[in-house]
Amino acid sequence: MSNIKLGVSLYSFTNEYVKGKLSLEDCIKKAAEFGAEGFELVGTQMLSSYPYASDKAINEFKAMTSAYGIEFVAYGANTDRGMRSDRDLREEEMLQSAIIDLQTASKLGCKVMRAQYLLSPNSLGKLAPYAESYGVKVGVEIHNPETPTSPIMQQYSEVIEKTGSSFIGLIPDFGCFATKPNKPHWDDALANGAPVELLEMAAQLRYDEVPREEARERLLEAGANGAVLGALQGMYGFVTFYKQPDLEGLKKIMPYVVHFHGKFHHLNEQLEEASIPYQDIIPIIAASDFDGYIMAEYEAHNTGQALEMTKRLLQLERKLLTQ
Amino acid sequence: MAFVMKLDLVDVVCDNSLQHTYVRDQKVGYQFQIRLSNYRGHYLSCIKELKVTVDGEAVNQDDVTFCLNGKEFTMLQLPHLISEFWNLIEPATIKIYKPGGLASGSHHIDVTLLLRIPYLRTPGSKQEHDYATLNSSGSKTLTVM
Repeated sequence: MSNIKLGVSLYSFTNEYVKGKLSLEDCIKKAAEFGAEGFELVGTQMLSSYPYASDKAINEFKAMTSAYGIEFVAYGANTDRGMRSDRDLREEEMLQSAIIDLQTASKLGCKVMRAQYLLSPNSLGKLAPYAESYGVKVGVEIHNPETPTSPIMQQYSEVIEKTGSSFIGLIPDFGCFATKPNKPHWDDALANGAPVELLEMAAQLRYDEVPREEARERLLEAGANGAVLGALQGMYGFVTFYKQPDLEGLKKIMPYVVHFHGKFHHLNEQLEEASIPYQDIIPIIAASDFDGYIMAEYEAHNTGQALEMTKRLLQLERKLLTQ
Repeated sequence: MAFVMKLDLVDVVCDNSLQHTYVRDQKVGYQFQIRLSNYRGHYLSCIKELKVTVDGEAVNQDDVTFCLNGKEFTMLQLPHLISEFWNLIEPATIKIYKPGGLASGSHHIDVTLLLRIPYLRTPGSKQEHDYATLNSSGSKTLTVM
């Protein structure tokens, strides 16, 4: 039996936070108001003592979580392989940084840490005993254009299985199950002068799995401008989509899933997400033995609609979970 | 091909931040504040280029320092600062040596600030250490406070 809890990643409020419209405390308060039991934050975005958890920061979080009745559940760590100006970090260096991140997550009271795919499968395996010691489960994010069973993700699954540790796992981002073009990107492309028939052509090429270069050439022949080509880049990259998303793959990896990112970009008043099939994803999780959080992660920051959209997403999730 | 991202979230040159700096009551230069216009903070080693132009005149790199986390760094130190983190909402202070200071009134400050995005490989690139660029440049006309 699954035990699904709903949370909000404060990353959803990026625009409002950076512009000073919402303080860290406001973000936490809003997440609680929308009914989140827990929240996640990205260390490089909102942790004042990054990459460490200072006593001051720990005490401030404690005061805020008890004031608003919400838990600090997950810590988003980054793998900045290119942080040095002279060379890429070596695997050992990234592993060692991830151990520091684990300590930080642990001190902040988090149960889960998100790692990025630049942390290699081998390093994830080596992280397992540290994760157990610090009491924090580490999951590698499965972010579009990766899918639960794409080759690199299979390597992570193999390492998790071989290690046999429940403290390392995967964090699917719902965006990897998108079935339609990303609405904010589509709207931006239209606003920047992309003809709608060429955008539709680009989407069809993607549905038909025409290779990227060929799609680009065919669009250029049809008279595509920069706005169309920009949209095409997204359609084959971080906001790609499929006729048949890898939901079978999701079922397969469910035993390794430690946490979810409920990616979303736009919900209408009928609570329909524009490109991500929540109605197909949530039942799969509900039917599994998953015990953890789905963290709402809004990613259409420049719309200024983060608060309303996040509120709607939690409504949608609750609706689907009670069905 | 360089792949450049620009997120215009905040003004890079901060309002009302231009001030003179003094040594023994004599104007020795001026300073102003800048913000990172991005969705996350970065280590200072990710700064690839930082150039300041004031009223159309490029400022000599020897005369510029970058102040953050209670410390003052030279331009040539920046590429080595792999453990000085620039928090997203923390303004940094740019200090410029200019004996006598600026004339009173308003001045146009132009900052070129380019960073390496340390997790985002240049799309399509197979080379090592080849990352996309974040353009956090900005300009503003400020009056000396």
